[in-house]
Amino acid sequence: MKKITVALSGNPNSGKTSIFNMLTGARQHVGNYPGVTVEKKEGLCKYAGYEITFVDLPGTYSLTAYSIEELVARNFIIEERPDVVVDIVDTSNIERNLYLATQLIEMNVPLVLAFNMSDIAEQKGLLFDIEQLSRLLEAAIVPTVGNKSKGRAELLDAIIETAQQDKPERTHKVNYGGEVEEELARIEAIVTDKEPELASKYGSRWLAIKLLEQDPDITAKVQNNKEVLDVVTASVEHLKIIFADQPQIIMADRRYSFISGA
Amino acid sequence: MEQKQPRPLSTVRAGETVKLARINAGHSLNSRLASMGLLPNVEITVISNTHPGPFVISVKDSKMMLGRGMAQKIMVL
Repeated sequence: MKKITVALSGNPNSGKTSIFNMLTGARQHVGNYPGVTVEKKEGLCKYAGYEITFVDLPGTYSLTAYSIEELVARNFIIEERPDVVVDIVDTSNIERNLYLATQLIEMNVPLVLAFNMSDIAEQKGLLFDIEQLSRLLEAAIVPTVGNKSKGRAELLDAIIETAQQDKPERTHKVNYGGEVEEELARIEAIVTDKEPELASKYGSRWLAIKLLEQDPDITAKVQNNKEVLDVVTASVEHLKIIFADQPQIIMADRRYSFISGA
Repeated sequence: MEQKQPRPLSTVRAGETVKLARINAGHSLNSRLASMGLLPNVEITVISNTHPGPFVISVKDSKMMLGRGMAQKIMVL
């Protein structure tokens, strides 16, 4: 029996827990993430010759370093490298929910989107072109209704299919616009050159994005590298002058534009 | 043309729709609110502003509840 690990991520109140219960039934156990009092729920599911371990990540709106839940979720994805990440999307609140998906896309994880509460979205009259969205986000999308156990087999099939695929480079990325992209390229170049280990662990683009956002956790990892810090500081200051705002605000704005464009 | 001064979101009555001007907060709260869609120029509709009671707003079709202190830091036009 082949073993795979799947992380469940999603906004608070997206129905993540009902999907987790739908997938794993009673075979769950609760522990802690090392060093923090954030609950770690794991559950097991056997399906089509696979033994799938599901890890229920804390519910988050984003993957910044500004709350312990977000940091735990992010670190799990980076350090443990789950075979697939399933992002549970509350389709009746699609814009805000897809913001988290843009962050997962940027981390280049093998992604499946569960479009949850699809019954409520339908009642609200929301219709999505799932095929087109799936092409744009480069992830399988499965409509689910967690509390009615709808979409279980389809979701499991999509997970296994995604786990089997080789990880391709994504062709659709969030484009942050000329000025920001220029600074990102500068930072990418210096981290690739001066911090090759970090760049290969996190991916140079993601690393550059987080440094430009002045993410405290990632910035701490390069704090002894003055050359890198100088480039980042220069970029941040340059963008602050152009936009009269913090880079991370501009970047959050562009992610939302990417979503409304999709 | 009438020049409006930004005012705190906490003073906006239920039913009114306003535009976010800026958030008077530090790096970390700013970033968190941005990831929840509270970005410059975004439209915010106040759903409920009763005192005492919850302060509820709607942003990008999502409802969220804010602390009153937070609502004072969000400046709108």
